[in-house]
Amino acid sequence: MAEILSKLSNDISSIVESAGKGIVRVEARQRMPATGIVWYDDGVIVTSHHIVEQDENIIVGLPDGSTTSAVLVGRDPFTDVAVLRADLSGLKATPWAASDGVKVGNLALALGRPGKSVRATMGMVNVVGESWRTPAGGPVDSYIQTEVTMYPGFSGGPLVDSAGAVLGMNTSGLLRGSVATIPVETLERVVASILEHGKVRKAYLGVGTQPVRLQSAASAGVEQETGLLIISVEASGPADEGGLLQGDTIVSLDGEPVRQVDDLLSLLSSDRVGKSVDVAVVRGGTPAKISVTLGERE
Amino acid sequence: MGSLLQQLDLEMGELVDSASRSIVQVRNSGGGAGAGSVWHSDGLIITNAHVVHGDNPTVVLSDGREFPASVVARSEAQDIAALSIDAQGLTSMPIGNSLDVAAGQWVMAIGHPWGMVNAATAGVIIGLESESPNSEDPSKQWLAVNLPLRPGNSGGPLIDAEGRLIGINTMMNGPDVGMAVPVHEIKRFLDREVKAVKATV
Repeated sequence: MAEILSKLSNDISSIVESAGKGIVRVEARQRMPATGIVWYDDGVIVTSHHIVEQDENIIVGLPDGSTTSAVLVGRDPFTDVAVLRADLSGLKATPWAASDGVKVGNLALALGRPGKSVRATMGMVNVVGESWRTPAGGPVDSYIQTEVTMYPGFSGGPLVDSAGAVLGMNTSGLLRGSVATIPVETLERVVASILEHGKVRKAYLGVGTQPVRLQSAASAGVEQETGLLIISVEASGPADEGGLLQGDTIVSLDGEPVRQVDDLLSLLSSDRVGKSVDVAVVRGGTPAKISVTLGERE
Repeated sequence: MGSLLQQLDLEMGELVDSASRSIVQVRNSGGGAGAGSVWHSDGLIITNAHVVHGDNPTVVLSDGREFPASVVARSEAQDIAALSIDAQGLTSMPIGNSLDVAAGQWVMAIGHPWGMVNAATAGVIIGLESESPNSEDPSKQWLAVNLPLRPGNSGGPLIDAEGRLIGINTMMNGPDVGMAVPVHEIKRFLDREVKAVKATV
């Protein structure tokens, strides 16, 4: 009777079944277990940082009903990502979707495995947007907003597209009352950093700043209206060593404009740890360029 | 692509039309109403126990005819009630199988939310949920569905893409998750309760 609808319904449940083979249960808190995504075939699991309340005695539940123990490799609270490692012999990583593959109006599924079986909710993709920063301060490469419902225990599970490929990791731990999806691009970056360093490294400058209007912008030859006034300099910190002074106004770092605190935080990325960068400032109304070797934030 | 969506629309409309013939309103003398499904053409109606107050509800068929109903059996624990009306030749709901439902499967709930007769809402199966995480007892299971249920949906059918009854819409669990009594539980209830009633008559 309902030919297309039946086909659609069967399609959806087979996507859930096949993608579900790379989705595990993560038991790392007293309350209800949550979900993890098999990220690499060698046993790397991506899950949500906020559901991993204990660093030890973490259990992973596999699609075949068996369980195994997992170790915590590291976490990034800023993007709510944790990486676990377990012996998952035979489990294949779920394929990832291309980062530009998702469009507004597409259907997407949120999958979870808080119990034995895989569970699913579905919704439309409402917004695909630019990069954003989580309330905790983590940079996220793109913004995906969907209508999918986060059923209890769905945090750490994937958002998958109509081909069953992973678009990102869903979490209810970042945005109050709504689902946030950390896209694959961000996960790749965060996971690589956690696997190498046990965390996401951040570069460190060692200054306290406040955004200010550049009153003499035109005369200083700077094409932006605001910058960051340095109100304190940590003694012997990278800024101090490089010669930045209290009262300088930072206008760019490594050639990228610095208009507000968020700009500076984004620029203090892991790839700049230990790197020597030019910091352009306005000092006493005149532009100056200071070379600073960035440190690592503890 | 537009034509595929149009065909989908058409099919969903047909499903609602077809199911609506087997959906009833259950009204109580003291107020309060819900939905129900025609289980058998000889007047057996299935609804939620919490929809039925007292022993003499009224059942309104889709064609507008009203019948006084008697409560054949009810279980508060399972939230199921079986009603009987003195009518023949009713269009019964095709019965599906809720034991082999799969997460992601398409479903539709039809009922009378806020008194709007035969209003429909669609979503997908989240999963078949046991009351305790490790229990496999099929009599203690719920169908969790990703669609909103409102007062007046209670007792109405949850149908699959083929228009078969797979559950009775019962309540919400949080703002976005509906819970339905799976049809396998209703079959067991009827096997147990209605046979017992017939035996004692």
